[in-house]
Order: sequence, then structure tokens, then C-alpha cells
Amino acid sequence: MFFLNLSLAEFSALFAVLGGAVVALYLLDRSRKRIKVATLRFWTPSEKPPEARHSRKIQQPWSLLLQMLGLLLLLAALGQLRWGSPERSLRDHVLLLDTSAWMNARDGRRTILDQTKTDAVTWVRSLPASDRIMVVRTDALSTPATVFETNRGLVEEAIKSSKASASAMQLTQAVDFARQMQRLHGRGQGEIVYTGSGRIADKEAAALPKNFRLLTLRKAGENVGLRKVALRRGASDGELWEVFVTAHNYGTQPRKIPVALAYGHAPVASGLLDLAPGADQNGRYEFRTKAGGELEVRLIVNDAIEADNHAIFELPAQRLLEVDVYSDQPDLLRPFLAIHPWIKPKFMPTNSYTPDTKASVVILDHFNPSAPPKTQAIYIEPVGGGSPAGAATPITSGMKLSWRNEHPIAEGLRTGDVRLERGEVFASTGNFSVIAQADGKSVIVASTEPRKAVVLGFHPAKSQLRYELAAPLLFANIFKWLTPEVFGQKEWNGESIGMVRALVDNNLKPENIKVLNDGGVALPFTLEGNKVQFFAGNEGMFRVVAGGREQVYSLTLPEVAETTWEPPKELRRGLPSLFAGGASSHDLWQWLALAGGLCLLLDWLWFGRIKLHSSVATPSPLDAVSRWVSGWRKAA
Amino acid sequence: MAEALIDRQFLERLERLTIHWQKSFQGLVGGHNASRFSGSGQEFLDHRGFHQGDDLRAVNWRAYMRLERLILKLFQVEPRVPVRFLLDTSSSMATGDPDKFEYARKLAAALCYVGLVRLETILIQPFRDGLLDPISAGGGRHRFQPIAEFMQGLKADGRTDFLQVSRKFLAEYPQRGLLIIISDFLDDRDAEKPLQYLADFGHEVFLIHLWSEQDRRPPWTGELEVEDAETGQTSKMNFDDEARDAYTASFDAYAGAVRQMALRKGGKYVGVSTSIPVEEAIFGQLMLARGIY
Repeated sequence: MFFLNLSLAEFSALFAVLGGAVVALYLLDRSRKRIKVATLRFWTPSEKPPEARHSRKIQQPWSLLLQMLGLLLLLAALGQLRWGSPERSLRDHVLLLDTSAWMNARDGRRTILDQTKTDAVTWVRSLPASDRIMVVRTDALSTPATVFETNRGLVEEAIKSSKASASAMQLTQAVDFARQMQRLHGRGQGEIVYTGSGRIADKEAAALPKNFRLLTLRKAGENVGLRKVALRRGASDGELWEVFVTAHNYGTQPRKIPVALAYGHAPVASGLLDLAPGADQNGRYEFRTKAGGELEVRLIVNDAIEADNHAIFELPAQRLLEVDVYSDQPDLLRPFLAIHPWIKPKFMPTNSYTPDTKASVVILDHFNPSAPPKTQAIYIEPVGGGSPAGAATPITSGMKLSWRNEHPIAEGLRTGDVRLERGEVFASTGNFSVIAQADGKSVIVASTEPRKAVVLGFHPAKSQLRYELAAPLLFANIFKWLTPEVFGQKEWNGESIGMVRALVDNNLKPENIKVLNDGGVALPFTLEGNKVQFFAGNEGMFRVVAGGREQVYSLTLPEVAETTWEPPKELRRGLPSLFAGGASSHDLWQWLALAGGLCLLLDWLWFGRIKLHSSVATPSPLDAVSRWVSGWRKAA
Repeated sequence: MAEALIDRQFLERLERLTIHWQKSFQGLVGGHNASRFSGSGQEFLDHRGFHQGDDLRAVNWRAYMRLERLILKLFQVEPRVPVRFLLDTSSSMATGDPDKFEYARKLAAALCYVGLVRLETILIQPFRDGLLDPISAGGGRHRFQPIAEFMQGLKADGRTDFLQVSRKFLAEYPQRGLLIIISDFLDDRDAEKPLQYLADFGHEVFLIHLWSEQDRRPPWTGELEVEDAETGQTSKMNFDDEARDAYTASFDAYAGAVRQMALRKGGKYVGVSTSIPVEEAIFGQLMLARGIY
């Protein structure tokens, strides 16, 4: 037995002072009363002698005893008298408040989170005032909202200000975090209390500690949601968009859900997904456009979570590559420029050359320009010392062509036994990279300074290369290297927040991969084989740039957990009972206050109200007991 | 002020009542007998010429239009039996819970209102060891406001001397009438004889005896120091249940003696405890005693 605020000595001193005051008031109350009456003519003193000659004497010991007892009990209640030891009474609880995406589910007018907040506040108010509480908001991450706190106002404020996130809850991680908090910062014992939807991202049930309490599980209704949406341009048609939609049925009933696609608020495609319970279903949709705009993919369904029923993407307009070709033999180059529909060539004679041009790429075929072009350029068999790659020497007959495949332009090129009959090789490459060689001498080089430029020492259409597949591939690689923003492979993915996995090309080194957020800031990632993984805790756009391929992830879909947690039967559930402190102390102040009030009420009933206001004196039961005891003594 | 003393609903209930007395008084009539004297009555008696100072409301304007002379209409006067209240304002009235004096003021005001509604001539005479300044009213319910204000201005103080009060009252008011005395009738000396003088003089006395429950049965026990509210005299005593019974018996005997005197002299007596609401006392005990109905 101990006091929260007072030691035994302090309590005794306080009781002595108040007890003395009560006795003094009692004696004063029992002393001779002075009253004013209308007349004295009817007053006659009693013929009996007074029971007590001295008025300063205790005449009603039972009344005094009841008053003192009542005072003692009320003081003990005020001091929060408890059973147990002080050390064991200090309990630190961790409240795991589920703030995952499932908590946005509506049950009637209120969300599950609103109901859970009410449950949590009720639990907080049921705890003794000395218990400390830490509120932890749990979703994909466990975030403490308070430290271990006895201030109930702060705790309730933290609960009420919690909002549902867009990620799924990791129960195992949350329990581990709570145990760690209790171990590092807690005092004594306490419980880990969970309240939420019971929908978790964990595949296996967490090993729960003995002090785990399940406060409430708020079940949501049926739900169907988008899990992933992927977009890419058609491989053969620049205006075609392919949309891949994956939806999941989180409920227990099979559903047929219409899917609608709108581009710029105009319907462009629709379909129907047949979803089995707990299963995914994929759909593929197409639409054609050159213009940029906003694509919305929507599941037309009224279910528990509205946020996972639609996804929106901002798509760019289709861009064509303008190429100015200065050549006196344009027909030789036409087949190479017809390899891709996005290339828009403009053929002009060499004498009409000007350095200023609006085109993205300029091709200079067998002539020496008066000034280098102010854009990216492809030089073919430059003459008269006009090569940007330095001095050139003529090719001697029968030089064998070979490729340096480590450069992106030469990637995938094979030509076998192709020999060059005419052209030039470059003696000194300087800051140029070698793409192809003829008998070990540079015959195709590329530079990035000051602008990207590729110099071919021979004309592909005038050599044996024109019969090889490598010829159009060489031009394709050159255009892709010069303008990756046009020909770079780009995909758009709509996914949920949390861990994102992206597939990249094989054999890429980590330094060639970048994961960037909206602001262009690089994020950490891991690379396993061709799988890049990174974590996104917030909504937003993320880009994975790997080689010539860029994947855009629009993480706006909530991560809705699939697994329904089945709590063990032996788990503590609901609100703790009044004395559910386990091995710790028990609060007694409610009972002490009740007993103290009862004592004072009895004293008032037996010695106060009846004696003062009743015209007929009613003996109290205690008086009867006293008389019986005195009679028994006399008889003895 | 009137609303503070008596609420409007209570006043509306009082309008159905009439103060009654049994005696006939020489030269005076009740409310329904015609008189041969002119005055402020309702019945026409005669005409006379207008003199300066006459009430313009009594001018016969039709006669003026025809004769171009101011002619005054005369009405029969109705001399009423005076209804007088003797209201005890001594210190003893201020004792008890609830306060007897407050109760007496409300009761007197209510009976005054009953009389005013019936066009009686009302006089309220406060007294202690002598007569205080009175107030008189008559002519209808609209005259109640001054009486209510007068009542509010009264205070309980001083000693009671019924003998002195009786003498002065008889000297002051020789005309006989109904005399309603509201008091606790607690006087150091005997109050019966002075009351008997008033009855013997010819007044019809209606005694309303007020007491609080503490006056009749004191709730205290043990060692008491009792102080007389009027004289300040104190007495120390041991007071128990037997003494209380003896006290109540003495009180009841005294009240019985006062009652016997009133009835013997043709008057009425009503004993009222202040624990009973005023409204209940009027429509209960006072009507049973046929003081009003």
C-alpha cells in the first residue's frame, strides 16, 4: 500500500491536522446551543439533570467515529491509495493505431479510422492516471506520434489528429517497434495495444508478445481496387498507346467490374473485369492519340475504399525527329531515313547549307561545310580536311570493317567479312570515341563535345555494308544515341505507395541506373539481377532511368493489404477490467471515496438530520447497540 | 412591488372571495343596503348647481347643452362597515423558519385585496407596543398598489404590548367594525384581556394566530441558552423530549384560551402555521372559519 503523492508520514500529519479540526468542530457543535425564540413563557427546563455537566465532552462517540472514519477514507481516496508497490505500478503502454489505407474504408457515414479513434480514446480514459502511453501510427512504417506520456490531453489529441495513409500495415514491424520502445524508453510493465482494421501486408502472422492486447478490429465491407496500371507507346505505331490494367478483388464475393478509360475527359476505351474473390485480373486496352493530355483509368464500382478505384496519368505529346540532309545524292540515304516513322527528313543540296537550322539533327553528305552546324550532326565521308575528327588518310583497298560493341552506337552490330574499298580513316581521334575500325584504324567515331556528332569515314550506301542488316541498324543506333528523348524507351506505371520493383535491362551496372523523385533528387535503391527496388513513402512521381530506358512511376494508388489477420484466441481483447493491472498495483480510490461518503451520509442520517429537524427524537441503531452493551455490562 | 408580495395568479384567485362578518353595526350598512346620504355611490340621488372645486366628472353635460348652466349630479353615499387590520410588527414576529412577519404581510395584503375588490373601506394599522402610522384605502382593486408598497416598508422590531395597543386603538377608532388581528399573540403579559376589551367595545374580532413550527415544538435538545427576541432576556436550560412535550402542551393551552375568548365574544379564530403556504391557508383554514368565502 502506498500513496502516489504522499508518504505515510505526510499522510499521517495531514490526517492528524484534519482530524483535530473535525474533533474541535464536533465539540463546538455539541456545546451549548444559543437560540433566539419568540417568547420565553412556554420554556421550562427538563427535570432530568443534564447528561454531561461539562459541555466540552464527547457525547456522541459514534458520530465522531463515523466522521473520523469518513475523513480518513476520503483522504486516502484523494491520495490515490493503491495496492502494490510503486515500482511495479509504473506501466508504459504503446498504442498501435492502424493508419493504413484500409482505415479509409467507410462503414456508413464514418470511416473505420473514426471508429477506431473513438475506441482508442475510450481505452485511454479507462487507464489509471499514472500509466504512460505512447501513440504509434502504424502503416508501412511505424511512426511515434507521442513519447511515453501521462498527459491524457496530448495523447487524445495525437489520436484524434491521426489520418489514414496510402500504405499497408506491417504488423510484425509495428510490434517489434513497440517492444523496442518499451525496452529502451519504458519503465516497468505495460501493454502493446492494437486497434485497427486487421488488414496487414505481412504474409505470415506476427509472433505476438504476451503483453499484446487487441482492443478492437473494425471490419470493412467489400472492396475492389486497381493494383497496377502500365502505359507504353505501341512499338510499330507512334500514335498508339497500350494500357495494361490490373485490378484485385479484396472481398469474398466474385465481382464483374466495368473499367473506363478517359483521355482529356473523353471516353477512349472500356471493358469488363471478371474478378474472383482474392484474385487479380488483367485487362489490356488501346487508344490512339498524338496530343498530350490526361488519361484517367477508373473502376466503376461503389465499394469501401474509393481512392483505389481510379488512377490519372499526364501523357506527353508525340514528338517527331526533324532531320536536315544536305546531300547531292539524296536517294542513297532515303532508305536509311525511312527506318522509323518518327523521323522526318528534309533533303537539300549541299550548296544551300547554312549553320543555323531548326532541325534536331543535320546530315552532311560528302562535303565540307563553311561552318559547323549549330546542332547535332552526322558527317558522312567528309572531304577536303573538313572532318571534325582531325586528319584523315584514304582507305586502301580491302580493309576489313570491325565494330567496337561497347559503345551504344555499335551495340548489337555484326557484319562478318565486310571490306571497305574507298573512304577515309582517321589518324588521331582526340576526344572522339571509336565506333568502328578498318584494319585497326578508326573509320567511324563519335563525340559529345561541343555537341554530339558522329563521323563516318565511308558512305554506307557506297560500300559492301549496304547489303548488310547492320546498315539500317547503324543509323537507328546513331539516331537513338543522338536523341534519346525521342527514341528512348519510356513507360508509365501507376502503382501503390511502398516498395516499388522495376525491371531493367540485363547487365546494367548500378552507376548507370538512377531513381529520381519529383524534384530530381536521387533515391537509394537496390539492384538484384535486373530488378531495381526502392521505397516510396509518399505519393508522387518517381523515375527509374536505366540505360536508354526510362520508367515513370506514378504512385497514387493506395497500397491495400490483402491479408486478413486472424488474431489468436488466447489474445487479450477489449478494454482492460478495473483491476487488470496484471502484477502491478490496483487503484482503490473509487471504493475509498464511496465508503467515505457512506460514512458521512450515515452520520448525517443518524445524528444530523433526525436530531435537528425531526420533532420526535429517533434513536440511531448505534445508540441502541451502545445501550445494549451498557445493559449487558451492568447485568454482568 | 405588489407582484413581489403576491403573484398575479394568486390575486386572480382572490377576486372570487368576500370578507364576511356576523355583527350588525349601528349607522353602517353592508355592501348591498342603500343610503340616503349623497356621496361617491353608484345610484343617482339629485341635482344641484356646480360650485368651484366640484368634481367635473359629475357635471350633467346634457343639461349644460340644453340650459347652458353647469348642473352637478349627486349620488347616494354608501357608508361601509370599516374593515381594519391590526398587524403585529414586533420582534417576535421575525423569529421562526419561515419568517412569521413575512407570512403576516402576505396574508394581510391578500385579505386587503379581497376587501378592495369588494369595495370595502380598508385600514391597516401596524402595532408593537403602540400604534404605528396606518394606511387606509378603498374603492377598488387599483388602490392595492399603495397598500403593497406600505407593507413592503414595514419592519419587525420592538416589544409587544397588547394592553397599550387596545387602549389607543379604542381611542383612535370609536366607530365599530370588523377588526382582523394578525399576530403571534405572544406578550409577556396576558394578551387575552386586551383582546377582550376590543370585543367588548363592539368590534367583531377575527383573530389570525400565526406560529412557526419552531414556536410550537422547538426542535433543539440538550444544553440550550434561550434568548427572548423581544426582551433580550436569556435562560439556560437542559431541554429534552419531556420538556418539549410540556412546552407544546403549554403553547396549545394558550392558543386554546385565545380561541375560546374570541368565540365567546362572537368573533372568529384561526390558527395558522407558517409551514402552510399563504394561498392554502386562505382557501383552507380561513374559509373553514367562515372569515372569508
